Amino acid sequence: MVMKYFRRAYSSFAAHVFDIPPRFMAFLFFITLSLIPLSGLNPYYLNILIYANILAIFSASWDLLVGRTGQISLGHALFFGIGSYSTALLSTSFGLPVWITIPSAILIGSLAAVLVGFPSLRVKGPYLALVSMAFPLIIWRIIKWAPLTPIFGGEYGIRGLPRFFPLVLPQLRVAEYYLSLVLLFVTSIIIYKIANSKTGIVFVSILDDELASKACGINVTKYKLMSFIISGLIGTLTGSVHAHLFSRTSTPANFELTLSFLPIVVTFLGGIGTIYGPIVGAYIYSILDKYFLTDLLPKLLRDNLRMTLPSEFEYAKFLIFSLIVLILVIKWPRGLARFTTDKLEDLEEARDLDERGPRIWKRYKKKEKK
Amino acid sequence: MHLLEVENLTKCFGGLTAVKNVSFHVDEGEMVGIIGPNGAGKTTLFNLISGFLEPDSGTVKFKGENITGFAPHKIVNKGIARTFQVVRPFHHLPVIANVMVALKSPRGAKKIEWLKTMERKAVDLLEDVGLSDVALEPAENVGHGTLKRLEIAKALATEPDLLMLDEPFGGLNPLETDFLTKSITRMHLDEPARGILIVEHKLYALMKIVDRVIVLHQGEKIAEGKPEEIAKNKTVIEVYMGKGM
Amino acid sequence: MIEEIIISGAIAGAVYGLLALGFTLIYGVSGVVNLAHGSLYMLGAYMFYVFGTLGFSGSEPLLASFLALILAVVFVGIVGSIAYRLTIHPVIGDEVAVMVVTVCLALIFQQLVMSIFGTSFPPVRWPEGSFLLISTSILGVTVQYSRILAFLVSLGLFFSLLVFITKRKIGKAMRAVSQDREVAMLMGINTERLYMLTMALSAMFAAVAGILITTSTTMSAGAWMWLHPLALSFSIVILGGLGSIKGSLIGGFILGYAEQIVAIEVPEGGAIVGVVPLVVMVAVLLLRPKGLFGKRIEMEE
Repeated sequence: MVMKYFRRAYSSFAAHVFDIPPRFMAFLFFITLSLIPLSGLNPYYLNILIYANILAIFSASWDLLVGRTGQISLGHALFFGIGSYSTALLSTSFGLPVWITIPSAILIGSLAAVLVGFPSLRVKGPYLALVSMAFPLIIWRIIKWAPLTPIFGGEYGIRGLPRFFPLVLPQLRVAEYYLSLVLLFVTSIIIYKIANSKTGIVFVSILDDELASKACGINVTKYKLMSFIISGLIGTLTGSVHAHLFSRTSTPANFELTLSFLPIVVTFLGGIGTIYGPIVGAYIYSILDKYFLTDLLPKLLRDNLRMTLPSEFEYAKFLIFSLIVLILVIKWPRGLARFTTDKLEDLEEARDLDERGPRIWKRYKKKEKK
Repeated sequence: MHLLEVENLTKCFGGLTAVKNVSFHVDEGEMVGIIGPNGAGKTTLFNLISGFLEPDSGTVKFKGENITGFAPHKIVNKGIARTFQVVRPFHHLPVIANVMVALKSPRGAKKIEWLKTMERKAVDLLEDVGLSDVALEPAENVGHGTLKRLEIAKALATEPDLLMLDEPFGGLNPLETDFLTKSITRMHLDEPARGILIVEHKLYALMKIVDRVIVLHQGEKIAEGKPEEIAKNKTVIEVYMGKGM
Repeated sequence: MIEEIIISGAIAGAVYGLLALGFTLIYGVSGVVNLAHGSLYMLGAYMFYVFGTLGFSGSEPLLASFLALILAVVFVGIVGSIAYRLTIHPVIGDEVAVMVVTVCLALIFQQLVMSIFGTSFPPVRWPEGSFLLISTSILGVTVQYSRILAFLVSLGLFFSLLVFITKRKIGKAMRAVSQDREVAMLMGINTERLYMLTMALSAMFAAVAGILITTSTTMSAGAWMWLHPLALSFSIVILGGLGSIKGSLIGGFILGYAEQIVAIEVPEGGAIVGVVPLVVMVAVLLLRPKGLFGKRIEMEE
């Protein structure tokens, strides 16, 4: 509900009062984010924002596959884990620097995307969901298997990954923050460019009606594989960067089902099939989870009501999010964004906000007005 | 050499033979109609030619090349375009983008030029079918008659040498039917080398524009000839009206 | 040794078949891919523990255990039915939404269990000293009576369902709906209530399987225990063919044996056993998507 009114207010504001195009809004958003560290924010809070950025990139890569071409993926953690473990193995076993291990990890991830993509293309619907769910779980079990512990570190994973920058806190956190921000920015630009090209239109056509797309001469298999590879590539990048930024360890949890589910929660919160969706959703989730629930709420309860939350509250957090997503999906099965953009279509300017359409026809519209 | 040559095409679904030993051809510049009562196998025939179904036996040759069993998108790239009886627009895209999906895109350096002209080409195509004023509407908001015309625009965008229309007049009112008849005739005149194959139920509209008619009944070809001949053909009348008419 | 595999495989196979039956039942009748099926299995085991310790101490512990079993199964059946009505029913047309909803449910159940029980494993066992814990020898292998019970109960329930579906009116209604929903509705079958009933049955089968397996093997309960039965369920169902009852049984046995072979022959196999259903599933989907007895996946036209 709140989101709906927020969006309405935003579009009203943007379109009527200041006539600000969404691209400018995005630009403002990134500028604001880049200025945050200069305000002398406590590095602890900076952590939350770094996490949000990484989560946003991860969710965006998932959304590229699911929201734009309609291929269900319940196993995106596969790429995250591959990214994480690849860079971990390369940097700890061979001592290679980060700027070699991460691109290598991405290469491995792309290979995995091809290997996983080909069979996935042959199945649809529930079967695809199950297959996608299975892959990371298979690796999860294999990685924890006792005989392979010397290589993969078993339950505890691989530790001691090097940092990105040879700096000391708080400058380290600031540098890492900018790194995550740059990556988010670049990813957004990439997805934006894709969405507004013929490839982007073709992706939507595949999402809408594969058969009709084929009838238009589109090699659907090629495009699906393409989206798989790009999605996997960015997903792997996220996993490898994350490994060096937080805790500097790679653990089997990097392949867990809950991690596969995270981009679904996040993207649903923000809006499926849009560029702003994963970013907004990631920020909402991160701030809600790491700040409100972990920091603010316990503090408030402690100071005002002398209550301490039981340790089980940890688990209740994810429960709350699952519950929220559950309710969201039931009320708005097409995702929050679709619901809001449907409502927004009452306002004529809303068409400019619809990220699915290509930018090209907007230029035509402006020409038409002249 | 015929533009399209179909020989002894057969397709069974379980116990049902949908298409049985059908053979016919379409030449360059010809407009051929396919008629027959419901269930005659007309759409199945289209699916077999356009690659959406694989025949159990028989061949499909296009410009002399055997294209039987090729993937649908390959067949489109060879030059055969088809529309669907039940319209299949891309709901999330505006009308103009629907057409853009189907536009052929050249490789390499020409691509940048093409992006600039892509818009214009799409607009031109929409003009041809009379849809310029709804170019920016999302396809899901647009009416049935418009969607039917969009189907044709999409097919034309692929620059086909053979255009296959599956019941293009379905669900259109007399005004729309008239407009579409004129559009198809104009399309035919604009591209004299292009062949057009139309499946249709509205005989009064179809018989006026085609050069030749093929009649299917329960999967088999039962008659072929000029529209006037077919209209008088006893077997055809029986098949449509029942015996004793 | 081979006799061990034969016995263990058969026992595991029977219970797995029952588990998969629940999954394929709800899919065949209503088209719902219930990713929370493993959670119902888990709930069965946990509720058995809860009802077991709740107050039947003293008197006949074995009788109390059986009572706890029945209570747990019925409880899970009701929970499944209600959960279906509240969460799945509103989105039943949309496959993707149904899957997201059931994954949410699964995670909610997982987190609930974690919040209440923490990460410790409750001892889900038959009472001490009962005859079920006594072992006997079959083909030279020592087998606990509890495992024989598991085998018999599973097969018993399986055949009861077969009889139910062929003889009783509601059972026939289920078959009708699974073949053609619209026509069944036209004939006056209330699909909504039928789905709820089917869901209850499906949940109960899962719960029984959960109780039988945790009480008769060394596998312990834990908040993550729902993943393995879920993987098993869809693996068996895909292998046997979605919507096929005999497929579930045969698939169940195949997987039961496959797992036992891995567990016994492969070094440290016990830990890696979870991979087996996943690998089988992926292999089947790639090589023969319709499984052994499934209906062909039609091209959408």
